[in-house]
Amino acid sequence: MASDLLSIAASGARAARSALDVTAQNIANASTEGYVRRTAVMEEVAVAGGLLRNGDISLSGVRVGGIDRNADMFRQAEVRRTGSDLARATTELSGLKNVENALEKSGVYESIVEFEAALQQLSSDPTNPSLRAAALGAADAMAGKFNIAASGLEAAGEGLRFDAAASVDDANTIAQELARVNLKLARAGEGSSDKATLLDQRDMLLERMSGIVDIKTSFGADGAVTVTTGGQTMVTGGVAGTLASATAADGTLNFTLDGTAITPGGGKLAGASLALTEVASARTRLDTLADGIASTINTAQANGVALDGSTGQPIFGGTGAVGMTVVMSGGSGLATAPAGSAAGSRDAGNLSAMRQALEGSGAAQGMSTLLFDVSSHIAGRTVTHDALSAIASAARTELDQMAGVDLDTEAANLMRFQQAFQASGRAMQVASDIFQTLMGIG
Amino acid sequence: MVSLSTSAFYDRSLGQMNALRVQAEDLNRQIISQERLSRSSDDPVAAARLRTLNRGERLAQIDQSNSDTAQTDLKLADSALGSIATAILQAQELAVRAGGTLSAEQRAAVGQEIAGLRETLLNLANARSSGGHALFGGQTTGDAYSDTGTGATYIGTGSVDPAHLGEGQTVLPGFTGPEVFSIDVNGTTTDLFTVLGNLAAALQGGGDTSAATQDALAGLESGLTKVSTAQTMTGARLNWIELMDNRRETTGELVAEEKAAVGGADIASTMVRLQEAMTVLEASQASFVQLSNLSLFNILR
Repeated sequence: MASDLLSIAASGARAARSALDVTAQNIANASTEGYVRRTAVMEEVAVAGGLLRNGDISLSGVRVGGIDRNADMFRQAEVRRTGSDLARATTELSGLKNVENALEKSGVYESIVEFEAALQQLSSDPTNPSLRAAALGAADAMAGKFNIAASGLEAAGEGLRFDAAASVDDANTIAQELARVNLKLARAGEGSSDKATLLDQRDMLLERMSGIVDIKTSFGADGAVTVTTGGQTMVTGGVAGTLASATAADGTLNFTLDGTAITPGGGKLAGASLALTEVASARTRLDTLADGIASTINTAQANGVALDGSTGQPIFGGTGAVGMTVVMSGGSGLATAPAGSAAGSRDAGNLSAMRQALEGSGAAQGMSTLLFDVSSHIAGRTVTHDALSAIASAARTELDQMAGVDLDTEAANLMRFQQAFQASGRAMQVASDIFQTLMGIG
Repeated sequence: MVSLSTSAFYDRSLGQMNALRVQAEDLNRQIISQERLSRSSDDPVAAARLRTLNRGERLAQIDQSNSDTAQTDLKLADSALGSIATAILQAQELAVRAGGTLSAEQRAAVGQEIAGLRETLLNLANARSSGGHALFGGQTTGDAYSDTGTGATYIGTGSVDPAHLGEGQTVLPGFTGPEVFSIDVNGTTTDLFTVLGNLAAALQGGGDTSAATQDALAGLESGLTKVSTAQTMTGARLNWIELMDNRRETTGELVAEEKAAVGGADIASTMVRLQEAMTVLEASQASFVQLSNLSLFNILR
């Protein structure tokens, strides 16, 4: 077929139109989440000369060979991996901060010091009813603070478990979506814009999934993805597995995929798991402290006599930080005098022993150490989190440089393809002029 | 080609400006609260140190309050001891006068006066501390002595509860009755009330009173010695309390200094850092506006 100026120009105009469409699509989706910049791939249409006509000019114009997605598999995998790590660190850090809040803002440490101070004040006048009431009030306040701290920890754990359960549901939804996208991908035509959209969806789903749990991916020839986590297959072809979580007795979480236990190494689920372990350990230590104080004071009480000369009764009841209560009804029950003292004795021997026992048991120090351990843990995790955040944002920038839409580039493309369109139009004009000239000859 | 995508540009600018805002707000909080740390994890080591310092400070406050109580009690005891000494001196005067040439009626009148002094002394012996307990009763909650008509029986306890002044130091904020009133006359242990009671009875009873007067004078003499000894001890204890107060004050200043150094926000440097953060924030806001206007679409017509 001989070259035909008009049809060449027409194909150029068509290609420029398509390229303009792609540019407009890019501009329209500049801030769409998960959208990967498209490029129209131009191909020259050239027909080889026929038999005995090898030297013929056979130019047939241009066509759009396909719509290219500017996605880089490696960079996308990096974004997923670093995102997974960051999600884990973020969830763990926020859980730990809740633990710190529960322990610190509840003022347990201050209330222990106040209780010590009230006992010390009482020693100046052990029979003074207002000082006795103040000491018992301080004990009550301390028990209350322990309750508040324990319920704060419980709430922190509850929040983490709730979030984890929601994330597990999310993961299952995403897995099903991925399976559906896999099926559609198998049917989509190569290089079609439909396929590009499906791939966008696939990558966005994978990124969301990696925020929940660390995943490994492998891709088939048609773009269908196989997702594994913790060595177990989560999605393959059109089949999605089911992720489930179960709460252990101490409030920590166990995860299973299709019934097989897995341990998430990244994502929100791993973060929640780590934070819950920390919550459980903080609770155990808080309970130990509360029980320690209660038994120290109650033992000291039993060694002395109350204001009326009777043997001292326990001040604290209940077990653990959450159950700690003051069971003594009046300040006169405080056993300040040693055993065998008469009623109304001002002998503060047992009170001194009680104060020494409380200080010796390291109640305030223990609480301070607990706070220190949690807060230094957070300080360390914050450094890790900042580093992971920098790494994740670097990976994201890398990917965006390739896959993101830059409006300046698109503006330049818009102008370029508009000019190409006008030029092709001009070529058509030339063809028409030539035709008119030829017609004029006759 | 390195090209930054448009949405990444907006995301990044937003993130950077947010970070600067957070930093500026934190510095602002530090200036307002005068505290560098808002939570332990800001600086775990400093926070732990602050907790220990705060506890020490709180307990030192109680030490101070206990020490103030002990000081008040000792001052009350001191003034009671002063009155007791005056009463003894009066009694001595009267006893000397009774030893002179007086008629039986006059002697009886002196005896009456001495009986009155005995009651005054008994009231002084039962004087109350700031907490409402007997100053000279040891650990008792009620009176130190009960009146028997001619003498008095000690009903307090045999020891005084020490007041804690911190750092393991204590002071006795009072006396037991016998420490002030018990005396030794010719090898027999008696007390001032009995001495005065016996003298009053002898003077009012008539007859030869010279022996009774002599005994009473000897008793009053050693009683006065005992009381002034107690006064000296009170002075020494008050000095001790003052010494501990000074020490606590110095320690308190050191603790306050350390607290400021460990957890306080230094106004000057915080202000400078805030100014820096604000300048950077303003600059980045201005450059953000400039950059976001720098779109090819604004130029292409």
